Amino acid sequence: MKIKDIYLPLDAEIVEVTDMTPDIKLFKVKPERQFQYKPGQFIMASLWGKGEVPISITSTYGIHEYIELCIRRTGYVTSALHLLKPSIKIGIRGPFGNIFPITNARGKDILFVAGGLGLAPLRPLITQVMNEKKTFKRIALICGSRDPREILFKDDIDSWQKKGLQLILGVRKGLQLLLTIGKKDKSLQGKVSLDKEYLNKPKISFTNAYAFVCGPPIMINPTMNTLSTMGMDANNIFTSLEAHMKCGVGKCGHCYIDGKYVCTDGPVFSFAEIKKYGFY
Amino acid sequence: MDKVSTICPYCGCGCGLYLHVENNSISGVSPVRNHPVNKGSLCVKGWNCFEFIQHPDRLTYPLIKEKGLFRRASWDEVLRLIATKLSGIKKSSGPDSIGVISSAKCTNEENYLMMKFARAVIGTNNIDHCARLCHSSTVGGLAGAFGSGAMTNSLNEIADARLLFVIGSNTTEQHPMIAMHMLDALNKGAILIVADPRKTQIAEFAHIHMKHRPGTDVALLNSVMNVIINEGLVDISYVKRRTENFDIFRETIMKYVPEVVEKTTGVPARDIKKAARLYATERRSMLFYAMGITQHVTGVDNVCSCANLAMLTAHIGLPMTGLNPLRGQNNVQGACDMGALPDVYSGYQKVADTKMRRKFEMAWMARLPSTQGLTLIEMFDSVLKGKIKAMYIMGENPLISDPDINYVLDAMKKLDFLIVQDVFMSDTAEIADVILPAATFAEKDGTFTNTERRVQKIRAAIKPVGESRPDWEIICALSKEMGYDMQYKATYEIMEEIALLTPIYRGILHHRLDENYGLQWPCTDITHRGTPFLHKKKFAKGLGSFIPVDFIPPAETPDKKFPFILTTGRMYFHYHTGTMCRRTSTLEREYPECLMEINPADADSLSVKNMEKVKVTSRRGSIIVRAYVTDKTAEGVVFIPFHFKEAAANLLANPALDPDAKIPEYKVCAVNIEPVK
Amino acid sequence: MKNSLILDKNYLSYWLRQLRKKMSLIAPVRAGNTDIVFKTVENIHEIELDCPASMPSPKGLLFPQKEDMFKFSKEEINIVRDNTRRLIFGVRSCDMSAVALLDKFFSKDFVDGYYMSRRENTIFISIVCNNPDPTCFCVGLGTGPFLKSGFDIQLTDIGDRYMVETDSKEGAALIKEYHYLFSKAKRSDYEDQYETILSSQTRFEKRINLENARQKILSERISDAFWEWVSKKCFECGGCVYECPLCACFNVLDRCDSEGNGIRFRIWDTCMFKGFTKMAGNICPAEKKGTRIKRWYFHKLIYYPEQFGKFGCVGCGRCTITCPGRIDMATIAHRIDIGNRRRR
Repeated sequence: MKIKDIYLPLDAEIVEVTDMTPDIKLFKVKPERQFQYKPGQFIMASLWGKGEVPISITSTYGIHEYIELCIRRTGYVTSALHLLKPSIKIGIRGPFGNIFPITNARGKDILFVAGGLGLAPLRPLITQVMNEKKTFKRIALICGSRDPREILFKDDIDSWQKKGLQLILGVRKGLQLLLTIGKKDKSLQGKVSLDKEYLNKPKISFTNAYAFVCGPPIMINPTMNTLSTMGMDANNIFTSLEAHMKCGVGKCGHCYIDGKYVCTDGPVFSFAEIKKYGFY
Repeated sequence: MDKVSTICPYCGCGCGLYLHVENNSISGVSPVRNHPVNKGSLCVKGWNCFEFIQHPDRLTYPLIKEKGLFRRASWDEVLRLIATKLSGIKKSSGPDSIGVISSAKCTNEENYLMMKFARAVIGTNNIDHCARLCHSSTVGGLAGAFGSGAMTNSLNEIADARLLFVIGSNTTEQHPMIAMHMLDALNKGAILIVADPRKTQIAEFAHIHMKHRPGTDVALLNSVMNVIINEGLVDISYVKRRTENFDIFRETIMKYVPEVVEKTTGVPARDIKKAARLYATERRSMLFYAMGITQHVTGVDNVCSCANLAMLTAHIGLPMTGLNPLRGQNNVQGACDMGALPDVYSGYQKVADTKMRRKFEMAWMARLPSTQGLTLIEMFDSVLKGKIKAMYIMGENPLISDPDINYVLDAMKKLDFLIVQDVFMSDTAEIADVILPAATFAEKDGTFTNTERRVQKIRAAIKPVGESRPDWEIICALSKEMGYDMQYKATYEIMEEIALLTPIYRGILHHRLDENYGLQWPCTDITHRGTPFLHKKKFAKGLGSFIPVDFIPPAETPDKKFPFILTTGRMYFHYHTGTMCRRTSTLEREYPECLMEINPADADSLSVKNMEKVKVTSRRGSIIVRAYVTDKTAEGVVFIPFHFKEAAANLLANPALDPDAKIPEYKVCAVNIEPVK
Repeated sequence: MKNSLILDKNYLSYWLRQLRKKMSLIAPVRAGNTDIVFKTVENIHEIELDCPASMPSPKGLLFPQKEDMFKFSKEEINIVRDNTRRLIFGVRSCDMSAVALLDKFFSKDFVDGYYMSRRENTIFISIVCNNPDPTCFCVGLGTGPFLKSGFDIQLTDIGDRYMVETDSKEGAALIKEYHYLFSKAKRSDYEDQYETILSSQTRFEKRINLENARQKILSERISDAFWEWVSKKCFECGGCVYECPLCACFNVLDRCDSEGNGIRFRIWDTCMFKGFTKMAGNICPAEKKGTRIKRWYFHKLIYYPEQFGKFGCVGCGRCTITCPGRIDMATIAHRIDIGNRRRR
C-alpha cells in the first residue's frame, strides 16, 4: 500500500518579502499545487537543511493570491528564513489545526484583541468578519504594540475601519496595557483595573459577545481572564496557542498538553478549554 | 538489525551499552541490563551517544594546510609529509624538540602505541595527555601515600556502604551512574556527607552539606582529622600496623581546630565535628572526590589529605570503604596506565629506572631516552622558549580545555609543524598543519579502563566513516613510514604486548574480557580474576605514608579589582570541549549556551537580572556570558562551565600549577563581573 | 480459542528456517553473558524463549531511535522507506499489546508512513509469557501474560509442544503454507494451555492497580508538591521514555554538509527534558522537573484511557529497571494508590 507522506513538504516559491519591523518579515509564497486553508490554521514551513517551524497563515484563501506568512526572527529556522529572497523555494506542509469558530458568533458582537504579532493569525478572521459584516453586530479591535512602528498591517486596519470596525490602538496606553500583563512583576500585576479600563473601551455588549485574543503567551491568559470577569462567557473567548511543534499532525508529542495536542486539537482553544486543560 | 556490545565514550563510569546497527548505520543505543556499573540505566549523554558518529561534520579524509587553507590529501601523501617533517626536526633539533599529546578518549592500545611511538620512534619522553589537567594530582599524591594512584574500590560496592563522604564532586551530573549507586545506598539508610561550595543535586540529599570556600579543602579535611584525633576515633592498631609517619603528621593536624578553621572555610565547626564523628565511627565509609579536589595549586596536598583521612580511620583495604577518585574521561585511567605520561612506561614503571628501561628497550628493539619528559603545560612553555618545534596531538583540544587559552594559542602558532588527529574539526585542528581523520569509538576495537580500573572491550559496530582510520592504524602506518615497522594485525596483538610488559595488566587479554564485563587490574596472571579493591592487607608500596600538609590559599584570591571567585566545571548535558555533545541534538537543545551561575544576592548588588548578559574579566582575558541567577552557588562565587568555545571559561582560568603534579588551578581564580548594557 | 493448532517443539526450528528464507528473522538472543536483546538471528538455536525480558523492548524495530525520513540534495528529495520484510519471533505479550496500541496511535487521524511501512512488513509471533521478571506487572492490566486478541500468531508452551493461535490474516498465511507441521488441538491441549496460563499468572511478584491510581488522581488531585518530591531523584536521563514500549515522541532534525546534501531524520525525544516544550524566546511551559514527570504519568494514566480506552502502560517493568533514581510506573502508581507520600 502506498501511503501518502504527511511529512513531505510541498514546494512553494517565495514571491515577495516585505520588512514589517526590524525583526518581522512578511513572506508571500506561491505553492506548487492548489492549497486551501481557513482562518486559524497554520502550516509547517520547511527549509531543507535547516528544519521546520509552525507558522500561522495570515492571508485569506480566495482573497489573497498567495499564502502570506508573517515571521518573526527568533530561532535557527526563522533566522534562516529571514535571509531568503524572492524566487527561492521553501517547503510548506499543511494546512494543520482547527479553525476559529466564527459561525457560532453570527448575530453577536465581536471583540478582537491582538498583541504584537498576534494580529497575524487574526488577520484572516477579521477580513472574513468584515466582509460578512452584516451577519454580525458590532465589531471592535484592540491592537496593542510595544512600539507605534510595530503595528502590523496598517493598510488592512484602515480598510477594516472604513468598513465600520471600532479600532482601539493601544500604542501609548496599550503599551502600558501590554507591559502590565506582560511583566511578571508582582507590583504591577495588581493593576488589572487598567486592563479592564482598556478592555472596557469598545462599545460592545460583553455578555453577548465573542472575543478572539492573540498575542504573546504571557499576555493571553490575563487578558482572557479579565474578559471573563467582565461578563464574557469563557466558552466564547478564543485564542490561538503557540507551542513547540515538530510534526503538526499529533505524532511528535512536543505540543501535547494535558491530553490535547495543540497541533490537531488546536491551535484555537476557548478560555474554558484552556482553564480545563491547564495550559500555561 | 544487530546490537553490538560496547562501552560509552563519555565519562569515566564506563557504562555498558549496545549500539543498534542497521545497514552500516547506527540507529540507536540501549543500556546493558546486567552491567555492574550501569545496571540497565544510562544518563542522557549515554542515551544519545550515537548521534555524532555519522555526523556530516566528521573529518573523512586527511588534510594538509597550504597557504593558510586546507586541501584534501591522500593518506600516502600526508604520512610521507609527516614522516619527512618529523625526521627532519628530530635530526636538526633533537628528539626532545618534538612533543606528543595522547588522548584519554582513545583506547588503551592506542595510548600504548602513542607512547611507544614517542619513545621508540621519535626518542623523546615528551608525552602527556589530559590527565595532567584532571587527576595528575591523584596519580602523584596517591603514589606517595599508597603506591598506586587509582580508585581503590569498586562501584558496585557503593550501594552497600553505610556512609558516603563526597568532596569536590558533582556526582549526579558528572558521574550519574555512580550517583545512582549512591542513591541506592541512601535508600538502604546510608549517611551522605557532601563538601562542595555549590548546592549540587547530590548535596540536596546530603545529611551534612559543608559549603566550604573554594580552595580551602586542606583546611577542612585537616580539621576533620583534628576532631578524629582529639576525640580518640583513630584506628590505632591499623595506624601502627599498616602506616608510617603518623607522629609528624599528628603535629601538623593539631593546629586545625574546627573553631579556627570555621573562619577559613566558612563551614560551622559543629558540622565539621559531626562529619568527623560519623565518618570515623562507621565501618563502611567510602570517600569520593573528583576535580574539586585535584584542580588546585594544592591538588597533591588535597589528595594527600584525603588519603590521610582514609588511613587514619582504617577506611581502606576493605570492601565498601576506600578512597575513590572519580576519573573524568572514559579512558583517562587507561591512558595513565598505558604510560602516556612523561615519567613512566605502562603500568607506572619509571622511565628513570634503568632496569625498566632495559626491559622496554629489549622488547621494542630501540634505544630509549632516560630523562623525564615535559608535562602538558610545560610543553607549551617550551614551545614559546623555542625548544619544542613540532607537536603531534591525538584526540585532544587544548585550545578549549587548557587554562589561559590565549597563551596556548600563542604557543601553537609558534610551532613549525602541528599534527592533529581527531574526529571533528576542533579548534585546535583549525590551526594545525596537517589533520589526520580518526575513527570514533563505534568504528574500532580496543579496550577502555574505567574509573574503577575495569578494563572493558569496545567493539567496532560500523566501518570507519569515509577514509578515516582507527588511531592505532594511523600510528602504525606513520611509524612504518618513519622506518619502524610495528607490525600489528589487530588490537588484540597490541594488548598481548601490553600484558607482556606490564605486570598489572599481565592477565588482561582480549578474549578474557568477553566474559563478565571486563577485568579490574591488578590482574597479574592469565587465571587471575581481577581485583575489586586495592590495598588489602598491604599497601602497594608496603606501608601507607601519612603526608603532613598545611593549608595554602589559592594562587589567586579575590581583591578589589577582581572581587569574585570563579570556579569552572562541567554541565550534565555537555562534555568537555563539546566536540561530540554539541553535535548531538538533544544535548545541544537542552543547554545551548554558556550560563554563569551567580547567587541572587550578588546579582542584586550588580543589578544583573536572570538571563542578562555580563562580562566576566580575569587577569588573563574576558568573556561575555548570560547570568543564571540561582542559589546553587554561594555568595562571592560564580560558576561557568567550560564547554562553550563562544564563551570559553578557560580564557579566564589561572594557569598557576601545582608544583609537583603540574595541574593548573581551574577551580579558583579571581574575576570581575560587570553587566553588559 | 476455537481453532487452535499444535506445533511439535521439534518442528519449530524447521518452520522458522523456512520462514527466514522469505524475511529477516529477529528474535531474543543472549548477548554478552546475561542480557537478552532482539537482533537478527544468525543461528536459530541461539533463540531464547525461557528468559528474562529483553532490554530494550522491540519498539525500536518499528520505530527506531534514529530514522532517516528524507535524503535531500540541491536537485532532489527522496523519501526514505524501510520495506524490509521482518519476522519478529518470541515477543512477550506485554510488548505485543504495546505494538497494537502503537498501531492505533500512528494511524490515528494522520497515518505515519514510516511506522506503517515497517509495520505492514512485519509479522509478530508472540509467546505466552511463562517467565515474568520481578519487575513485571502486566497481569493486572490485561496486557499479559497471554493475549486474547491483537496478535498475529501466539504460541503457548505446553510441555513438548506449542499451542498455536492466530488472530490475523498475515499470521494465518504463515501457518497455512506450512500446514503439514501443525495438527489440530485436542481437548487435553486446551486444558494444558489453561494450566500453563494459570501457573504463569501466579508467578508475578508485583500487582499494581493502575485503575485505583487513576481514580485517586481523578478524585482527590495529587498535589504538585508530590510530583516535586518525586522529581528530586530524577536524573533527567529520559530512560523511562526511551525504554517505554509505548512512548513515541520524536524530534525532527536536518543534517547537511556544505553542499546542501543531507538527511532529514527523526530521533526519539522525551518529555522529561525542559527543551522538549521550550518555545522561541525561552518560554517553557514545563519549567520544573516535577511538572514534566506529572505530565508523563497523567498522559499514561488519564489521557491514554480517554483516547484509546487503555492505559498507556503495559506493565513491562522496564522503567523500573532503567531509572537511576528509582522513579517508575510501578512505584509511583503504587504510592498514589496506597497514599503513602511521606516515606523516602
